Amino acid sequence: MLFRRIYQFLIVFCLGLVCLLGIKQIFTLSDYVIPGLPLIMETSGLVSVGYLLDVINTLSVTVLGQFVSIIMAFTVGILGRKSSWAGSFIKVMAYNIQAYPIVALAPIIFILLGDGFLSRLLIASMICYFPLLLSVLGVMTAPVKDIEHFYIATGRMRWQLEVKIRAFENLSKLTTVIAGSATLAMAGTIVAEFIAANAGIGYSIRIALYQSDLAGILVALFMIGIVISVYQGILETLGEKVKTRWSAPKGGELI
Amino acid sequence: MKFIRFIFRQWPAAMIIICVFFAAVSVQAGAIKLKYRLKWLFNTSVAGDIYAEEQGYFKAAGLNVKVKEGSPEKNAIKELELGYAHFGVASADQVIRALDKGADVVVLAQLFQVNPMQWIYRADQPEIKKLSDLKGRHIGVTYGGNDETIMKTLLARAGLDSRDVRLFGVRFDFTPFLKKKVDVWPVYRNSQGVILQDKLRQEGETVYFFDPSAFGVEFVANSIVTSGRMIKEHPRQVNSFLTALLKAWEASMDPANEAEVLAAVKKKDKGTRDDIRQKQLSATRELIKPDPGIRIGRIDVNAWKQTEDIMLTEKQIKTPVDIASRLAGPGFF
Repeated sequence: MLFRRIYQFLIVFCLGLVCLLGIKQIFTLSDYVIPGLPLIMETSGLVSVGYLLDVINTLSVTVLGQFVSIIMAFTVGILGRKSSWAGSFIKVMAYNIQAYPIVALAPIIFILLGDGFLSRLLIASMICYFPLLLSVLGVMTAPVKDIEHFYIATGRMRWQLEVKIRAFENLSKLTTVIAGSATLAMAGTIVAEFIAANAGIGYSIRIALYQSDLAGILVALFMIGIVISVYQGILETLGEKVKTRWSAPKGGELI
Repeated sequence: MKFIRFIFRQWPAAMIIICVFFAAVSVQAGAIKLKYRLKWLFNTSVAGDIYAEEQGYFKAAGLNVKVKEGSPEKNAIKELELGYAHFGVASADQVIRALDKGADVVVLAQLFQVNPMQWIYRADQPEIKKLSDLKGRHIGVTYGGNDETIMKTLLARAGLDSRDVRLFGVRFDFTPFLKKKVDVWPVYRNSQGVILQDKLRQEGETVYFFDPSAFGVEFVANSIVTSGRMIKEHPRQVNSFLTALLKAWEASMDPANEAEVLAAVKKKDKGTRDDIRQKQLSATRELIKPDPGIRIGRIDVNAWKQTEDIMLTEKQIKTPVDIASRLAGPGFF
């Protein structure tokens, strides 16, 4: 899973690079518009270590932001699963708020919280929170009638059990959404850094952009791609392990 | 039926209208179509460009020029190379960086004789009379931007380094300066500078501006550029464009035309208050035409050479680009 992710990214990145270099050759563009391979390699030698540290810095915020958003999404999803007034209100509110582009709120967040760690964390978690919430709400509000009926009929149904049944029955969907939201969290962090932070790869890209340094931006994109591929690969592997473990009861076998 | 009868009765008039319309379109189509990419959004600092379009200076020169707004993401030099624009506005560092990477760009005219990139600070602080007065101050810079390069040069000239001052990475909002977290804040003198000065005056505060050129650091700002190919293939178009544009700039900086200029700018920049726009125009005038004897568009070759030297020292470019050989100037054609 992990290696598949990495080589998939490498193929896509190389294809993109070949296309860019092809355009450069066809239209005889200067290194200012599209940098040549020697300039990209030279820039890579100069900035790759620094950019890798920046990406790791960004990733640390991403992981934390994703963790916060998962907790928030499950909390709100579980609270909003009921067809009561409160449940309906939470659902409607979630659907409406997620329609707002969080990036548009980013400048306000930076003005209020400054350009430090908290702002990046908040924006990262908000960007991946809403898609997660919608999936969790979708899972939690859909009863698994066949199983739940038995517990309801026997009077043993509790909210914890209801949540467990619905999560277990949709485990594959939930793990896929969580793994997928890693990209969103990373994108959110980078956007936050690009707009107004003072650290991370988004900040470095902004500086490179100021200096029209496309070679630097390409190196940054490569670093981001590699690191996010590794992170997503790890998440998917963990997801698979969780599924396997939950599917096979202790001492039992898969049915 | 009534409508059809009306059409038949009025057909001679309709034919005349149609002929006039097509004649107008063909005259417009006959004009040479050109695109001119600005560096920044429409505001008073591009008054001459707006005025040229609004007052028909280009049309009078037989040109149909589309003046396109700039933004941080848009780069006129790249658009020249990609064929999306024929002329553009770029800062000197953009031009020098582009030449360093093999771009075919030529400077036609230097719009700002004094760089609008300056620093604002409150008048309750000691005035910066010599560069060593920067010592110990909390100074804002845009990392990766022009102002970082200029400030580093100023500090080096003062024999100071980044440990002698506290540098603060600035963003789009002025909050750290307004909250007095940062003492000296970078601004474009004729746009943000006017707004901040006004804001602080309302709070009963007065300000100073720290102008690097007053301390011998001449870092050239916005200039009109085109590609070498454009000059080679269409020298007449280049000449017509430049003549019309500089004529418009001269007229727009004439205080006698202030009301017309402000009205033209207001059409494009509706978000700024009238009094602020008027102050911005006055500030722009001092930067574009600091002396009545200076012709707008004059290229200060020594300032360009100094800009190149600064960029070399700051390792912004790898090798000298011989910038003087890429300065055509208004008298070139």
